[in-house]
This record gives sequence, structure tokens and C-alpha cells, in this order.
Amino acid sequence: MDWTFVSNLILASVRMATPLIFLALAELYSQRAGLVHIGLEGLASIGSLVGFLVCLITGDPFLGVLAGAVVGIAVNMIYAFATIHLCAEQIVYGMAINIFAPALAAFIYRVYFGAGSELVQVKLMSTVAIPGLKDIPFIGPLLFDQTPMVYLAYALVIFTAIYFNKTKSGLNYKAVGEHPKAAATLGIPVIGIKYLASVICGALAGIGGAYLTTCYSTTYVDGNVAGRGFIALAAVIFGRWSAGGVVLACLFFGFCDALQIRLQVGSSGIPYQFFQMIPYVATVVVLALIGAKKAGPKAVGKPYRKEER
Amino acid sequence: MERTKARGGIRGTKLLNVAVPVVSVLLAFVLGCLIMVILGKNPFEALQYLWVGAFGSLANLGITLNKATPLIFTGLCACFAYRCGVFNLGGEGQFLMGSIVCCVIATKVPFTGLPAILLCLVAGAVAGGLWALIPGLLKIFRGQNEMIISIMLNYVATLFMGVIYTAWMRDGSVPQTVAVPKETQLTRLFGMRFTAAFIIAVVVGLLIYYFLFYTSKGFQLRAVGYNMTAAQFNGFAVKRYILMSFLISGIIAGLGGSAELLGTQYRLINNFGNGYGFDGVSMALIGQLHPLATVVVAIFFAALRTGSTTMQAATGVPTSVSDIIQALVIVFAVAGLAMVKLPQFQAAIQKRTTKKEG
Repeated sequence: MDWTFVSNLILASVRMATPLIFLALAELYSQRAGLVHIGLEGLASIGSLVGFLVCLITGDPFLGVLAGAVVGIAVNMIYAFATIHLCAEQIVYGMAINIFAPALAAFIYRVYFGAGSELVQVKLMSTVAIPGLKDIPFIGPLLFDQTPMVYLAYALVIFTAIYFNKTKSGLNYKAVGEHPKAAATLGIPVIGIKYLASVICGALAGIGGAYLTTCYSTTYVDGNVAGRGFIALAAVIFGRWSAGGVVLACLFFGFCDALQIRLQVGSSGIPYQFFQMIPYVATVVVLALIGAKKAGPKAVGKPYRKEER
Repeated sequence: MERTKARGGIRGTKLLNVAVPVVSVLLAFVLGCLIMVILGKNPFEALQYLWVGAFGSLANLGITLNKATPLIFTGLCACFAYRCGVFNLGGEGQFLMGSIVCCVIATKVPFTGLPAILLCLVAGAVAGGLWALIPGLLKIFRGQNEMIISIMLNYVATLFMGVIYTAWMRDGSVPQTVAVPKETQLTRLFGMRFTAAFIIAVVVGLLIYYFLFYTSKGFQLRAVGYNMTAAQFNGFAVKRYILMSFLISGIIAGLGGSAELLGTQYRLINNFGNGYGFDGVSMALIGQLHPLATVVVAIFFAALRTGSTTMQAATGVPTSVSDIIQALVIVFAVAGLAMVKLPQFQAAIQKRTTKKEG
């Protein structure tokens, strides 16, 4: 247990937490507008594939991330239309997205690359050090020598915390998730905010997926999201629906992920799959421990029908 | 007059319950054909091969029924839990736990043949049921989200199966277990590819149908699923029903896992059971949580998959078109079912039926 081990672990934790932060923020924005979304896994998988393809074709990881966001929004519009206008059950429709989007991603991959199994790789986004901050002893190289996506994630967290707690617009947004009818009587455009939420949610989930293929792994494989969409859901519950809490929860799950990789390398004799179970088991244990104190938006999951006002 | 109106409405709804999935399938096929056109293939030729591949000969029919078997099990698993108002997305984990226990028993017990088969099926079912109890217990005692937990347990089960076939019960250099002894394998029926597992699956479907719609316990379980608060006020043991629904749905999936192992795969190997859990959820949702409809839907999608292999060989249209079609059906069907429940739509239906009858 020396310093390099610890610093590598922290570095990896930050990296592994980043896609979770994007996904958890996506869920937060969706739920704050009263839309519970269990389809993030699906949105992330299509974002991951499109991000990979665009990165491969253009050679620019930033365009890949952008494309991931766009396709995330596009697919999430199906969810938005079905749940907002058709009042489809949100859980069921989220599940439909979870089935639809990965199938689409797998299909596009097969069509694009044919049956050949050669491994195509992209160049990952390089890290950008922040001058000045990077030179802080110990934490400088760990926190301020990362890819721009990591900085973006933390900037978004700070923005979200301020937006929901300190701005009028953010409070209006939250009102839609708490009590849409009351919000509507105050002249808040409920339907509009729900669509806005779906756009933000789709974009962030798509970016979270694209992060996996532009910043983390050099190639796309089916199922590469590996449950992160659902772990992010757990992180929102664990983080009590606040931006700060969510980021801590994501760092914890990121740490579990980083730890399992380190442990795999360091041990022999124990089948590596036991270490790979750590993030999933940790999620179950965390959920079991925190219990069911309801802290989320009150109207989450409920359809909003304008004419019933 | 009032009565005919109400009955007209009910008949209309029942008709819609069938019409929506059918229309969804047609729409999905139209889009599927469009994709084929974009890929530069002839969709009519492709569809013809799809049909031939799925039902063209007795042999192909056997393959279709065999492919349908695990889908029926996981479909019924999802269907049963959701009837009680809980989402068991852990069908895959329960399926795998069933097949793992089945594999261990089948390869380790000193006897083979029917006694071993029965022991394996029962043990697999129990293993699946116990695995499903984890989300069930956490749901009723800790009020926790059963969906996330059951999904996490899918990953744990998949990794645990990896431990079995890559380490603990690895057979030589290949990462897989030894095959189940020949005498313990389920025999093929009528010289076709499907086995008794298919018959078991259909019987389970019939039993669930009977239980849900013709017994008082089944009625209470559905009441819990329909309106938990109302069921609570009526003095139904809501928590007990939730736990029971998890247990039974896990048992169904576990039984499916062991039947699949004994009937088709014979050994644990990479990707075994991959995707069956979510496929099952699709089947249940498209079948509108009706057990018998779920069986039919599972056979339909199995046919699509079997046929797509022939289609790929003959026309070059990739097999994953069938996955896209399945995914499109669920996107359309769930949206369609929500749409016909909208008050505006119901009012329009009511108006039309009364006009016709009045």
C-alpha cells in the first residue's frame, strides 16, 4: 500500500466516476421534472456507439461526444413524446428504451463493420492540465490533469447545484416535479419544462455513453455500459436528489470500480469475476442500507394531464 | 341502454388489446423493410426467406419452438411479477442461477436419467426463486427499488457463472464446463429440435393463466398489482403477495434456466442466457401481461430469430434486423397501449360504439 497505489486508485476513481456523474445528472434533471427514467442504460449505449463511430470517422473525440449528445436527445424524444403526450407509464417506457436503443446500437455496429471481427480502435481524448492548479502537491496531478470531460462533469455539477437552489428558473423547474398542477396555475409551462428536461437528460446520458468510447475504452463492444445506467439511478437515490450528494455517490461507485480493477491486478488465485462483482454488490448493499426515506420529487412517475386541472 | 354502452366499451377495449400489438408488429415490419431497402436488399425476398426459415419445414419449426422455450420462461417470469405490481427485471440472473445449480448437480450426482433430470429441474427452480427473494425481501423490508437491485443481481449472477466456467468447473483449456451426461439431457421430441422443455414452458404458462384468472389468490395478487393501496384497505396481505410474486417469478426463470441447460446448451459457456431477461420483459409487455399471449409472442419472436438466420444466408440481410424489429414492436406497442387509454381516445371509442349499437 504505497503512495503510487493510492494515487492511482484516486485517479482511476475520478475517471470511473465521470460517466456515472453524467448519467446521474441526466436522471436528476429528468426526475426533477417528474419523469423517472430507467432507460439511461439504453441512451448511454446508443450514445456510446455513435460517439465511437463519429470519433472513428472524424478522428475528433470532441465531435464524438457531441454526436453522442445529439443521438441521446433524438432517442429520448421518443420517450418524452410517449410519456408526456401519451401518458405511457414511465417505468415501462424506460424499459422499452432500454430494449430499443441497445438493439439499434448493435445493429448499426453490425451494418457498419460487417461480420468481420477485427478490432477497430479510436484514439482517446488526451488530458489537459490546468496550469497553476496542476502544481498543487498531491491533489494537483490527480484532479487537474484530466480529460476536459472530467472538468465538464464537475462544472455541470456546480451549475446544477446553483441552478436548482439559487435561481428562480430552477425553482420553477423543480415545482414541475413536485406539484405540476400548482406549477401550471402559476403560469409555469409544465409541458415545456418536461420536454426541456428530456432534452437535457438525453444529451447528458448520450455524453455519459460517449465518454466510455472516447475517454475510457478505445473500442465499442455491445453491453459496454455494463449497468452504469442503473448504478446512476442508485446514485441519485443515494445522493438524495441533490447535485452534491449525487457527485459523492458517483465518486463512491467510481471508487468501487477502480478498486476492483486494482484488486484484479494484484491478486492471484481468486477468480477475477469476484472483484468485478464489487460495484454491483456495493450498489445493492448501499440501497439496502439507506432504506426508503422518500426524498425525491413528489410527482415523479405520475402522468400529467392538462385537461384534468 | 346504459348496459350495452358499457359492454360495447369493454368489447372495444378488448379488441384494442389485440389490435395494438398487431398494428405495432405491422408497423415494425414496415420499418424493418425500409431498413432492408436502405441496405440495398429486396425486402419481399427477405421476408419470404424469413418465413421459410422459421416455419418452412418441420425441422425449422422445431428450431423455432426450441428458441422460444427460454423466452417463454423469462417472459412468464416478468409477466407474473408485474401482475403483482412489481418489476422483476432480474429474470436473467434468476435464469442463470437456475442453470448454474442445475449444471453443478447434473455433472456431480452419481446417477443419471430421469431422477437426475427431475432433481436438476427442481433445484434450478429453487435456486432461481431464492435469487429472486433478495430483491423481494429488500423491497418489502427496506422499501427499496426492486428494479435496480434485480438488475445488479443479473450482473452478479453472470459474473458468478463466469467463475464457474472459467475457474471452478473449467473443462481443460476451453473456458466452459463439461457437458451434462447424455442420459440426463432432455430428449428431442418427434425427431425435431425442441425438447420436453417447450412442453414444460407451455404448461407453466397454462398454470399461471389458471392461477391468475381462476383462483381467489390469483385475483388478490392481481388486485395488489392493480391498486396496492386499495388492496391494503381490503385487508389483502400486500407484502406477502409481493414476496410470493418474486418467489414464483424467480422459480419460473430458474426452471427455465435449468431446462435450457438440459435441453439445449448442455454446458455453461460464455454468453449463455445473455439477453433473455430483457427479452422476457419485452415478451410480457407486448403480450400485455397475459400469460398465454406472452407464450404466443415468445414463439413469434423466436420464429423471427430462427428465420433471420436463413434470411441472412440467402439474402445477406443481417440477422440483427430481427432484434431491431423486436425493439420497434415494443416501442410502438407500449406507446400504442398508452394512447388507447387516453381519455380523448376512450371517449371517441365510446361514441362510435354507442352510435353503432344505438
